Amino acid sequence: MIKKTFLALGLMTILFPVVAFAAGPDGATLNMGLNSLWVMLAFILVLLMQGGFILLEAGSTRMKNAGHVAGKTIFTVGLAALIYWAIGYGIAFGGDSAIAKFIGWGDFFFNPATAADVAAGDNYPNGVFFLFQLAFAAISLSIAWGGFAERAKLASYIVFTIFFIGFIYPVVAHWIWGGGWLANDGAQDFAGSTVVHLTGAIAAFVATVLLKPRIGKFNKDGSANEILGHNQVYTALSVLLLWVGWFGFNAGSTVSIGDGFFTYVAFTTMLGAGAGGVAALLISWAVTGKADITAMLNGTLAGLVAITASCAFVDPWAAVVIGLVAGVLVFYSVKMFEKFKVDDPIYALSVHGMAGIWGTLANGIFATQALADKVGIGQGGLIDTGSWKQLWVQFESVVVCGAFVLVASFIVLGVMKMIMGFRVTEEQEIIGLDLSEHGAYGYPEQLKKPGQGIHG
Amino acid sequence: MSDPTRSQIAKKIASADQVDVLRSLRDQMHEQMKALLPARPVEQLNEQLNELHDAIISKAVALSEAEMARSGKGSPPVPYAYVLFGSGGRKEQTLSSDQDSGVVYADPEGGNQEEIALYFQQLCKLIVKHLIEIGYPPCEGNVLSDNPDWCLSLSGWGQKLEGWFREPAWESVRYLLIIADGRRVYGDERLVDALKDMFYTDTLSHPVIIKRMIENTMRHKVLVGIFGQLLKERYGEDAGSLDIKYGAYIPMVNSIRMLAIQSDIRATSTLERIRRLVEAGKLSAEDGKAYEQAFRFILRLRLMTTELAEDGVYANNGKLHSSKLTKEMTDELKSSLKQGKRLQRFVYRQAVGRLM
Repeated sequence: MIKKTFLALGLMTILFPVVAFAAGPDGATLNMGLNSLWVMLAFILVLLMQGGFILLEAGSTRMKNAGHVAGKTIFTVGLAALIYWAIGYGIAFGGDSAIAKFIGWGDFFFNPATAADVAAGDNYPNGVFFLFQLAFAAISLSIAWGGFAERAKLASYIVFTIFFIGFIYPVVAHWIWGGGWLANDGAQDFAGSTVVHLTGAIAAFVATVLLKPRIGKFNKDGSANEILGHNQVYTALSVLLLWVGWFGFNAGSTVSIGDGFFTYVAFTTMLGAGAGGVAALLISWAVTGKADITAMLNGTLAGLVAITASCAFVDPWAAVVIGLVAGVLVFYSVKMFEKFKVDDPIYALSVHGMAGIWGTLANGIFATQALADKVGIGQGGLIDTGSWKQLWVQFESVVVCGAFVLVASFIVLGVMKMIMGFRVTEEQEIIGLDLSEHGAYGYPEQLKKPGQGIHG
Repeated sequence: MSDPTRSQIAKKIASADQVDVLRSLRDQMHEQMKALLPARPVEQLNEQLNELHDAIISKAVALSEAEMARSGKGSPPVPYAYVLFGSGGRKEQTLSSDQDSGVVYADPEGGNQEEIALYFQQLCKLIVKHLIEIGYPPCEGNVLSDNPDWCLSLSGWGQKLEGWFREPAWESVRYLLIIADGRRVYGDERLVDALKDMFYTDTLSHPVIIKRMIENTMRHKVLVGIFGQLLKERYGEDAGSLDIKYGAYIPMVNSIRMLAIQSDIRATSTLERIRRLVEAGKLSAEDGKAYEQAFRFILRLRLMTTELAEDGVYANNGKLHSSKLTKEMTDELKSSLKQGKRLQRFVYRQAVGRLM
């Protein structure tokens, strides 16, 4: 018996040296390692959300632009990585300076440590934090592309990526997450309803206003035409991809394993998304007589966008309410933009803009004191504390960030429109950007190049 | 149109000897009817309009017959009836309805069957062509007398019906519903009566057909939402329009036709069917009155729907822009649509209940 025990121990020593000799990493190092893995996983999930945007934008637009839509997403994510590395990260999170209240300054051409300094209190190596933040910036950028869809020149994508990733987005991120003045006021935006979604949506709004509606979207008498996307299955799959990625987005924003709080964040996220889709389907059914798939998909995304700010601050019931309101809001918002003759091909203004505003404000209403204390940002909202203070702070952050992005995007895109032109020509728009900007269709078998029609 | 003018037009139709005369008479009738639309009670207007349509169509048939004789193809070898289906059959043609038609001819005793069939095919080609010239567009579903499937001898029709009943696929059921609205406009009434006898005997002995008919017709939803709001077109050139044809008129026509078929009522016009249903005790007097009122209002709106002159034929898309409705009309439309919805539910429940 004893012989066997020793034999087993010996074997264990060979197989699991750490268990046998408990002289490995201490608790802090293990903690750091787990955090790093979690943030890395979250980064991967958020990066994968770009796949969602490819399918969302391609599915919601026409065949003749599909290759362009998909290709430009990949390209601009790559470009964004370089710009964020060179400039953006330094503006968002670059050290303390005299102007730290307004923008960060430092860490340009970011050179991360090769390992975390556990003794100095690092929770993870700063390289993984950079990657995670970069993925967020790229999401915001892809949201902005919604306003460009089907008619912007390829060159305008390049120019706007440089300014948006280099300056516009990092400034907002700095204000709320990088220790800027709104952070000091206690603005609650857990994973970026304002920072990521509203910022992207407002840039999309400016772009779509400057570009004017797509050919054929509105009739002379002001009535709208429905330009249907070419693949609703893509659009549905995109929502699934984004939904899955959102667990990296929201739950990953805890940037730690800690006591497992990230699972609670994931939980409220799930409820918000479900409620958004259900509410949007039911409202479209009731109002138009048809249970509209596009409305339901938009509602699901709107639920996710709205719960993004509040996922760490609210009780489960409030998550459901926030999602339900977002679903109804997005349905009416789509109608409203159409009435104002704003062409919003992939509904970015409604899904990310309106729901982003709602989600940010919702904190001021539904945040609980206990959860605000746990996260350590701001205070409880109107219902829990009876105080209007948090709602005011939330309102302030929406208005200030919105106004900043509006003005900055307007300047960048306006100047660009004047100097180099923003929109493709009518002929290019009609034959499709696949051909005019890239020389080949994404679906070559379905679409014939002009002039091939007769012999083809 | 005052009655003297109407009888004047009717007289001119009766004495017309050329197709282009009929065309210009139709254009006249069109102008006058349009002017009268807001003033007259809709039922009277509808009746007058359909009488004139009937007169023009039967005259066109007679002229075609004469033309056949002139070109040496002889006169009809056996008695026949020219039958209208669809809105013509129901005496509910608008100013711009299309042709849905067929022919039943008597079974030839001896004689060359193929030759007889050929005669009627040639005749029908001529009739359909002339009616297009007069401004009646052909039916898109090809329910037309010049389609050999819809130009048959009485026994040919018997076999056709039998085939449809044997295999009640979606299309067969649709054809059976079309037959239910068939009405003679020219020729021998008894032939159509005989066709209807076969139809009703077979339908009433095939209860499963009723269920298939319900499934076929109930897919057109009444365009009123759960908040009582009107469901308008949201996109395209008809944005803001109401689909009066498929969202109001057709659902009521279908429901009443279902009740009529189940009660062996042979009237073809919807209002007449409602009255007969009340007489037969299938609808309460109160319901009958409510449905009649709702249907009359919908008929009026249907007469108001936009017309586009496409290649000279009168056509419309059955849609009416909501800005053409006054507040009172909108309210009346909403209550009419609610009656339509109630009727649809009644028909459905009653049919399903009967089958179970």
